[in-house]
Amino acid sequence: MRDVASAVLTILVFPGFGFLFVCALAFHWIDRRVTARFQGRVGPPWFQPFADFVKLLAKEDVLPVGAHERACALLPMVSLAAVLTAALHIPVGGYVVTSFEGDLIVVLFLLSLPALAYFLAGWLSASVFSVVGGSRALLQYFAYEVPFLMALAGPAILVGSWSVSRISGAQSGGLWTLLVQPIGFVLAFIGLIGKLKRSPFDIPKAKSEIGAGPLTEFSGRKLALWHLSLQVKTVVGIFLLVDVFLGGSGGGISLSGVTLFGVKCLLVLLALSVTGVLYARLRIDQLATMGWRVLAPLALVQLLVVVLVGG
Amino acid sequence: MKGAGTVGAIIRWARRRSPWVLHFNSGGCNGCDIEIVDTLTPRFDVERLGILKESSPRHADILLCTGPVTRQSRARLRRIYEQIPAPKWVVAVGGCSCSGGIFRGGYNVLGGIDQVLPVDIYIPGCPSRPEAIIEGILQLLETIE
Repeated sequence: MRDVASAVLTILVFPGFGFLFVCALAFHWIDRRVTARFQGRVGPPWFQPFADFVKLLAKEDVLPVGAHERACALLPMVSLAAVLTAALHIPVGGYVVTSFEGDLIVVLFLLSLPALAYFLAGWLSASVFSVVGGSRALLQYFAYEVPFLMALAGPAILVGSWSVSRISGAQSGGLWTLLVQPIGFVLAFIGLIGKLKRSPFDIPKAKSEIGAGPLTEFSGRKLALWHLSLQVKTVVGIFLLVDVFLGGSGGGISLSGVTLFGVKCLLVLLALSVTGVLYARLRIDQLATMGWRVLAPLALVQLLVVVLVGG
Repeated sequence: MKGAGTVGAIIRWARRRSPWVLHFNSGGCNGCDIEIVDTLTPRFDVERLGILKESSPRHADILLCTGPVTRQSRARLRRIYEQIPAPKWVVAVGGCSCSGGIFRGGYNVLGGIDQVLPVDIYIPGCPSRPEAIIEGILQLLETIE
């Protein structure tokens, strides 16, 4: 009975839904605020993401004629569930729910499910904008995913384990993977930007070109869940990067470790925001070229260095 | 969609603090559109009031209309209004969209936005100043129930 209660608590409160929900809204607010400050504005108040979320939940839910209603209702939930599940295998401040050999691959798989759901949402919602956005999303996926996977394989090969918590724990001596594999970190960071469809890789939802991309026809609750799943994905992606490349919480569960983890997460978030402000959106062909001619060969070089020198 | 008690109060609070706007010109001279673009610049920073410009009618709460309604744009204006999920509000920006303005009585002009859609608030001016547009939206938000 107690096991069940603690499992429910883990999934619903910490580090499950409740914690990730609060983190997602907070990170989203910090992101918008930082962007606003860089543009010489004040930015939204702290409750803005929550107000947006509640407002969308309470709005009418309509879909155009011809859209696949059941799939369109299911896809945002699949996307959100996948990223929430991925969070269970990533140590937060040294605490991890379940950890096993190979959970890095599970996490990467779960984090790429939303991309497929996003594409399908565009394809099935009966709008030209969303179909164009969906096919762009899929093309973008092929451009960033390979370098991203290869960049994350580097630390795993070096440590000799495909478990996120083990990779994180192996850096407790103070030697971060970032210092050993700087190219890998940069590639993973760029890949994360592509994964989160943030500027400058917000090609699938390019506002000035194709409406709101795959989400053009979504409204109300479904849109709220889509936004939430992207925001949670941002949090989970940042956790993953901090654990794999920046040493996580520095080993063990302690107050200083948790604080350190939080500070590192905020730094990565700040880097994401600054990158988004600094660079203008690329075209999809430019991104595909960059992904296969620059990022993938660099990732290969990094892997070779790891295998030849580190192994 | 009127909620009772605490939940209703929270929803009302959220609606007042997160008005996402969609902009449509149904036949104006582009003057008010420039002013709306001006309103959205960092100088006025309407994001601090929760106002965001959306590019899809499905995401919007408020339809910002400029210009008089011409015979040609009537059907599109109606269609865009119908694409916005409820609850939704219409703001008429500028003299032309309030009454037809100098185009009133023209052979191809129906008149103000209220000839086609239920308008919630009228913002006069030729063109309306950004301050007036912000003030108008804020007054509209106060009436939200």
